[in-house]
Amino acid sequence: MSTQVTVEDLADLMKKAAGVTVAPQELEQRSASGFDAFGIDSLGLLGIVGELENVHGVPMPPDAERCKTPRQFLDLVNSTLMAGA
Amino acid sequence: MSSPPTRRAAVTGIGVVAPNGTTTETFWKSCQDGIGVLDRVTREGCEHLPLRVAGEVRSFDPSSLVEERYLVQTDRFTHFAMAAADIALDDARLGAADIGDAPFSAGVVTAAGSGGGEFGQRELQRLWSQGSRFVGPYQSIAWFYAASTGQISIRRGLKGPCGVVAADEAGGLDALAHAARAVRRGTDVIVAGATEAPLAPYSVVCQLGYDELSTHDDPARAYRPFTSGACGFVPAEGGAVLVVEEESTARVRGASVRAYLAGHASTFTGASCWERTREGLAQAIRGALEESDCAPEEIDVVFADALGVPEADRAEALAIADALGAHGGRVPVTAPKTGFGRAYCAAPVLDVAAAVLAMERGMVPPTPNVFDICHDLDLVTARARPAELRTALVLSRGLMGSNSALVLRRGVADAS
Repeated sequence: MSTQVTVEDLADLMKKAAGVTVAPQELEQRSASGFDAFGIDSLGLLGIVGELENVHGVPMPPDAERCKTPRQFLDLVNSTLMAGA
Repeated sequence: MSSPPTRRAAVTGIGVVAPNGTTTETFWKSCQDGIGVLDRVTREGCEHLPLRVAGEVRSFDPSSLVEERYLVQTDRFTHFAMAAADIALDDARLGAADIGDAPFSAGVVTAAGSGGGEFGQRELQRLWSQGSRFVGPYQSIAWFYAASTGQISIRRGLKGPCGVVAADEAGGLDALAHAARAVRRGTDVIVAGATEAPLAPYSVVCQLGYDELSTHDDPARAYRPFTSGACGFVPAEGGAVLVVEEESTARVRGASVRAYLAGHASTFTGASCWERTREGLAQAIRGALEESDCAPEEIDVVFADALGVPEADRAEALAIADALGAHGGRVPVTAPKTGFGRAYCAAPVLDVAAAVLAMERGMVPPTPNVFDICHDLDLVTARARPAELRTALVLSRGLMGSNSALVLRRGVADAS
């Protein structure tokens, strides 16, 4: 299993956890926009964090659910996964 | 000091998602034609349960009416509420442009009796089978009674006074009364109503504890209030949402006033003490008449609670006689819900929708599957009865003891 979360993975999680559909390409382009601009609220982000923790079997730092943008989130999550690998 | 001008609560839009119609027009046509749609329970996971017959909303495709994120984040009862609110707002010709300018002038009030049972069951099954880490965060809001009010408010940008009434089945009428009060106090528009989705395994099992639930397996015989064959009530899903609007605001924007919410009262007489609802319901009727400044003889039609439990039916018939006097034996009484079931809090709101449509059409819809009345009531059966209807009385009682009455007056096409 890949220990890195890609933009594609995040797009899948956004759909699964919050019912928000965004093409990975668009998510990449707009990765500095706020999650709210995509329609992801705080519960949605919490759900995404939960899914990641279940898939990777490692806890994410508390700051993960406070990230404002997809880019910030991916950086934090991937550095956490890297450190745990 | 001159008194402020009186603000009147008018109904300007009606949205229905019911077992006998997922548009307001098909709902009315089914009611008028006395079409019975009660049928065997087919919802997933319910087929083997002792509840055999119910009113299911079968021609409802939430994915074509509600955005994907709400499908994932909310329960079926909220999908019904959002769809009914859309129909009601369209019917009132009240769009985003009207509300966008003054979002704080429009609010939402709903009632709910069972909340998001299907969503809640799914997440609780994850809790017990996989653990707490597998419960989605939307569980924290989706199964609450308050979910529909909140989600309609968010989805339609309605930032005015919002509320949720959790007051038993009669809470459906109480929600409309709450909306009327908010309008009289100064809010221009309240989107108000109730929807329910109690046909999911967990919810059905909860209902099996009610002695009043009919477990009869013949759809034509399962729900026959006011007859010697009364054997309880049949539950239903779906509901109705109304646009309750201040009369002059509605007239200024050219909307038609369909009806007025003229008066309401509620009482409480204890869970399943059906004999006592005679007094409680009669008192609610008197209170609603008083607030409406309406004499008993002015009531042109009664939409009965019609529980289908002999003791409760007797109490309701007597309450109508107690409160309306001799007129109680003459006024047409109807219970269209025998054709599609009793949708808990949504049941009286569907009755209010039917009452407004009945007044507009001058037609009392019949009470399907009911004949051989064993009470002193002029119950309209078999076919719709033409009648001049200016004032309607809607009654509702809950299994936990609430009794409510609401008086509606027919709208005036245009005051100008």
